[in-house]
Amino acid sequence: MLKPHEMSSVIITGPNSELEAVIKELHDMEVLHIVEHSKNELADIGKPLDSAGRLSEILVKVRALTAALNIRREENKFELKKGLLEIESNVRKIGNGLGALNDELKKTEELISKNEAVRQELEILKGLNIPLENFTSYKSLACFTGYINEKNFQHMNGELSKTTKNFMLFKSGEKRKFIALFIDSKNREDAGSILNKNGFSQMNFSNIGGFKGAAMSNLKRTGEENARLQKKRTEIKNSVEKLANGHKAFLAAADKFLSIQLEKAEAPLQFASTPSSFLIKGWIPSGQLNSSIERLNKAAKNRIFVHFEPAKTHDNAPVKLKNPKYAKSFEFFIDLYSMPTYKEIDPTFFIFLTFPIFFGIMLGDVGYGVASLLFFWLLKRKMKAKSFFNILMLASFVSMLFGILYGEFFGYEFIHPVISREYEMFTLMYIALAIGVVHVNIGLIIGFINELKSHGLMTAIYEKLSWIILEAGVGLLALSYMGKMPISPLIGAVFLGLSILMLFKGEGVKGLMELPSIFTNILSYARLMAIGLSSVVLAVIINDSAKEFFHQGGVFVLIGILILVVGHIINIMLGLLGSFLHSLRLHYVEFFSKFFHGGAKKYQPFGFKED
Amino acid sequence: MVDVSTGLIALASGLAIGLSAIAAAIAEKEIGVAAVGAMAEKEELFGKGLVLTVIPETIVIFGLVVAILILNLAKGG
Repeated sequence: MLKPHEMSSVIITGPNSELEAVIKELHDMEVLHIVEHSKNELADIGKPLDSAGRLSEILVKVRALTAALNIRREENKFELKKGLLEIESNVRKIGNGLGALNDELKKTEELISKNEAVRQELEILKGLNIPLENFTSYKSLACFTGYINEKNFQHMNGELSKTTKNFMLFKSGEKRKFIALFIDSKNREDAGSILNKNGFSQMNFSNIGGFKGAAMSNLKRTGEENARLQKKRTEIKNSVEKLANGHKAFLAAADKFLSIQLEKAEAPLQFASTPSSFLIKGWIPSGQLNSSIERLNKAAKNRIFVHFEPAKTHDNAPVKLKNPKYAKSFEFFIDLYSMPTYKEIDPTFFIFLTFPIFFGIMLGDVGYGVASLLFFWLLKRKMKAKSFFNILMLASFVSMLFGILYGEFFGYEFIHPVISREYEMFTLMYIALAIGVVHVNIGLIIGFINELKSHGLMTAIYEKLSWIILEAGVGLLALSYMGKMPISPLIGAVFLGLSILMLFKGEGVKGLMELPSIFTNILSYARLMAIGLSSVVLAVIINDSAKEFFHQGGVFVLIGILILVVGHIINIMLGLLGSFLHSLRLHYVEFFSKFFHGGAKKYQPFGFKED
Repeated sequence: MVDVSTGLIALASGLAIGLSAIAAAIAEKEIGVAAVGAMAEKEELFGKGLVLTVIPETIVIFGLVVAILILNLAKGG
């Protein structure tokens, strides 16, 4: 609580012969946060273990197969019996199987597209009623096929007749005619220019060479062929899917196994190394230090040396937050923002105290609390982010408590309220501002402690205590002017002047410019009242309009129920979003700005996998 | 029916909250665009992005406080 786990910096050195054993033990222990070594004159970075090349090669193949077989990652239990050799031979087998299927698929698809081209040509030719073998090349005849407009057709026919009598013309279609012209090859050029003049667009039939007989019968045969090919394609695709289903458990397990092995094999890249020895720098939580060193020494047969010392104030130690079980979920918010530095106060516990209260003050309705509690409970069972839903469930529960205080059940006043959100908004606003004063000052006190630890007493007084004196000064001034307190305004003014001087000394001109910020921060807590007010007013409006329908009776009752259900669902959604974001904002902006530095690295031990 | 002066008070308090809400919205739009852009590059910036985006919200709170103070005139008068 308030402080992260204590860390010790660790340096492990040893001969290269023990490197593999040390890496394996470190990976199994999941305790060392490795500090990456960067190359310098004294030592280069290490080389990956010999197995790394082979491992990454197989891993690439496994991932390529996973992608090619369209396998989604999912949890499964598959036991790899013989390790790497088994994976390698299995991957080769699957790869060969898939390769053969893919080749066949490609061939079939080529045939399908060729068949389609033939079909299109036959569709055009079927109107002409000429046997297909006539469309071959002749020595003494020229053959033109293509489209021409009906208007130009007669004109072209006339012109052709003038040139020669030795031609045959076939046509089909209505307005835009498809024609086939067979003409003496001596007149080829004349015919070509006549056709061109008349807007003829040529079409060549390259796919039906070797076809015989009428177009219709060929068309039928092509259709049958197509059906056969389509069926074959489906069959191949089915076998690919079967292959995928048969091996997906294996591939997923292989991927996991290889990733872990590769992580170990490539670990030396983060270490310092000389031709014959290695040096590993890192951090281990002090509590696990002794047992870890013992295990390492045993694994390396006492041929390594481990140096360790506890982290000092200005060390850049990685941070592993330490909180009691009930507050642990709230570390989620710290993760989302930034890790506190090693010697800073960890605010998780304060968020645990205030976040649900702020949320509850804003949502505050027994009905809404129950509904959202159920909603988040269901979501938590389905989804992964457990801590997120834990936070929301606790917040929903607190909303129910505030609902009792406000006497609200889906906006309906079911008991006499201790304080009514609808009618006593001023009282509630003063309460909200009072909460603001307390919260901001807790932040300042935490800031004071942080500064005290890192920069000493004077800095802490100038930078943090000055704000509290400023608040006191303004408060005294206001009270004396309003006549609520029988003291001279001078006392308040002295406090004010003193605090401004201290701020100027502590933070310079920047501090003076930020003078009003403390009051805007406190005023910002008025949202605790405002969000709740908007939520309750909406709920009352929904209830009132539904009541109108209930009074009319009959079918209108159904409409009334619809309004109630839809209206309250929307209002709950709005309320949850608003309460969550605004509560979070009060912490991130108003609270954190008083003390939080952050920016530390999160403790991520080698070998540890987050699920 | 309410008299004209009460109506004017209601109007004034409506303007106080409405105009400040528009101002906050414009400010938040600009910041929100930049924050989402930054988040697309680097996901860890969510926390900072959220904080920066909601800073202008205080403007609405000021509007709300002024609106409530104006409404108070209606009670007193």
